[in-house]
Amino acid sequence: MEKSLEKRVEYALNYNGKGSDYFGIIIVNWLLTVVTLGIYYPWAKAKQLQYIYNSTSLNDDSFEFHGTGKEMFKGFLKAILIFLVLYGVLGLFIYLKMPITALLLFYVLLIAIFPIAIHGSYRYRMSRSSWRGIRFGYRGDRKEFTLLFFKWIFFTIITLGIYGPWMAMNMRNYLLGNVRFGDVEFEYDGDGTDYFALNIKGYLLTIVTLGIYGFWWQKDLFEYYVNNLSLTREDGKIRFNSTATGGDFFKLITLNLLILIFTLGLGYAWVVTRTLKFVFEHVEAEGNINLDTLTQTEENYKDATGEDLSDFLNLDSVM
Amino acid sequence: MMNNKTTAVFYDGNSSVPQQIELSLNKLNATLEFQMSDGTHCKWLVKDVFFDKRATGLHLKYGSEVIQHIKIKDDHFINTIHHFRRENGHISWYQKLLDLGFAAHFGIALAILGIIGLCYVYVIPWAAEQSVNLIPEEYDNKLGNSAWAGNEYFMNVDSKKTKLLNDFAKQLNLKNTKNLKFIVVKSDEINAFALPDGRIVVFTGILEEMKNYNELVGLLGHEASHVNNRHSMKMLCRSLSGYLFISVILGDANGIMATIGDNINSFQSLSFSREFERQADADGFKILLANKVNPQGMSNLFKRLKQNNFVSIPEFLSSHPVTENRIEYIDKMVKNQKITTINHPQLESLFAKLKQ
Repeated sequence: MEKSLEKRVEYALNYNGKGSDYFGIIIVNWLLTVVTLGIYYPWAKAKQLQYIYNSTSLNDDSFEFHGTGKEMFKGFLKAILIFLVLYGVLGLFIYLKMPITALLLFYVLLIAIFPIAIHGSYRYRMSRSSWRGIRFGYRGDRKEFTLLFFKWIFFTIITLGIYGPWMAMNMRNYLLGNVRFGDVEFEYDGDGTDYFALNIKGYLLTIVTLGIYGFWWQKDLFEYYVNNLSLTREDGKIRFNSTATGGDFFKLITLNLLILIFTLGLGYAWVVTRTLKFVFEHVEAEGNINLDTLTQTEENYKDATGEDLSDFLNLDSVM
Repeated sequence: MMNNKTTAVFYDGNSSVPQQIELSLNKLNATLEFQMSDGTHCKWLVKDVFFDKRATGLHLKYGSEVIQHIKIKDDHFINTIHHFRRENGHISWYQKLLDLGFAAHFGIALAILGIIGLCYVYVIPWAAEQSVNLIPEEYDNKLGNSAWAGNEYFMNVDSKKTKLLNDFAKQLNLKNTKNLKFIVVKSDEINAFALPDGRIVVFTGILEEMKNYNELVGLLGHEASHVNNRHSMKMLCRSLSGYLFISVILGDANGIMATIGDNINSFQSLSFSREFERQADADGFKILLANKVNPQGMSNLFKRLKQNNFVSIPEFLSSHPVTENRIEYIDKMVKNQKITTINHPQLESLFAKLKQ
């Protein structure tokens, strides 16, 4: 079979989940988490991720999440151990009456946990995701990424945060650039200057318009994330394009807020469903890669420590 | 045997090439059987297969390292498999919980919320209050000391009146278990407060509002009762445990719930403080009776504070809310009890000096 198609085609991305189904999963998980005093949490998380991945489809075949509660529970224990060691080091140096060394070491180690968590989380999530049995993968190098992360953080600190947008884009380029989908490679082409300009414009106009421009800012951000993403394999390419408008975001966000407020939070499942439907309805994918010819290239990776560390550090937004 | 056969799509776990297969369910051996495009025959034990019903059809997963997939769209065959699995007890308990449907899930949600609510309103405050007894009084002193140390710098203490107020208090039985120290601070603010270590701070602003020594006795009785009942520590334990409870229960569910929870907690703290104010009023009232001072002084003070300051609410009332009810409450107690009062010339003269 030909690896690249002669004509460019559109790929169908859809979210087919139902709010009521997701609500059922959330509530059953909630019940089990309460009854087990929280121990069920990793299993609950696995079930939720499985549902969301399984409800997302590409060309009428759904994605899969193979991660299990057991893996994430083990990762959870390891993550706790890492934090215990971290505080142990802090305590030891304070006990030795070296408080400055203690704090310095503590913060360096704490900052080091972030790239390790992000790296681990990417490796785990990607390796445990698949489509038609073809696994995703993350090929970043932990040491390289950690050093880069320290460099970016250093620049961000000495520029009093101004370097932040460049850091965000460098990180995205690195992370997504190392994602594989079988033998297809991801690429993200973000530029710090563009991203900085986009955010400054969004920030100022949002203030001037008393918040109304915020929806259009959101639209610009979404577009920036989607339109700079592409997939390549040899001469084949898939490009993504956002069709969402500021008005669409206005409708999505205000309605979501109303649902949450009037259901006292119980409508959360419908909010997530609406949001995911929105995302996949407003992303167009077009290109000439023949998706019937992907081959398995990525290995299994079942260590969820990074995933759980990210959970502790609330790094969900980085994914 | 037409029922037990269908066409389906098979993915071998090594490439994304869709293979059309003829899939059959062998009920006798409890296996799913098909032939791959290279001619290999496959037999999967039904109990080893992972099933998932999705919008795109029924998905079958098999294997752990190399995961093979089958996608079935034939509704009839999907039903056949479902019945077979149910008859053989292959449906997991988790799936059964999910299959209960929306109404049951909604009921479960309400029940969990109800239980959490009951715990929050009754169990947690009770447990927190019990735990206060385990905390040594020494900790109250530390807490009060550090609070005072943090504020002392901003307070202009009137040492002459401080001595007078201490003499005034010495004449009274405040039912205190620990040493009370009275401090008068020069300030227009109409306020007084008690710290957990037994320091009671009275601002000159509130002294100026008073017309009779019995009002001052009422105020001191009220503040002393806060100390006697360890209200600060109780408040701390309650709001801390309430906060912990809310964040543990709702924090994992989702961020929105946690935010709602936080707000409920601060609202609930307000009603705790109301309860404590009422208790301090009641105990302060008893102190007035025990000292044979006219308890009307207490309600007179509240009434005056309310009247004279209708523009800006005095600090004392805003941190000690719902005055209307409290005045009524005191007036009712005054009416319902036999009160014997005697003259206190010494208190009267000390009060006059304090007013100077």
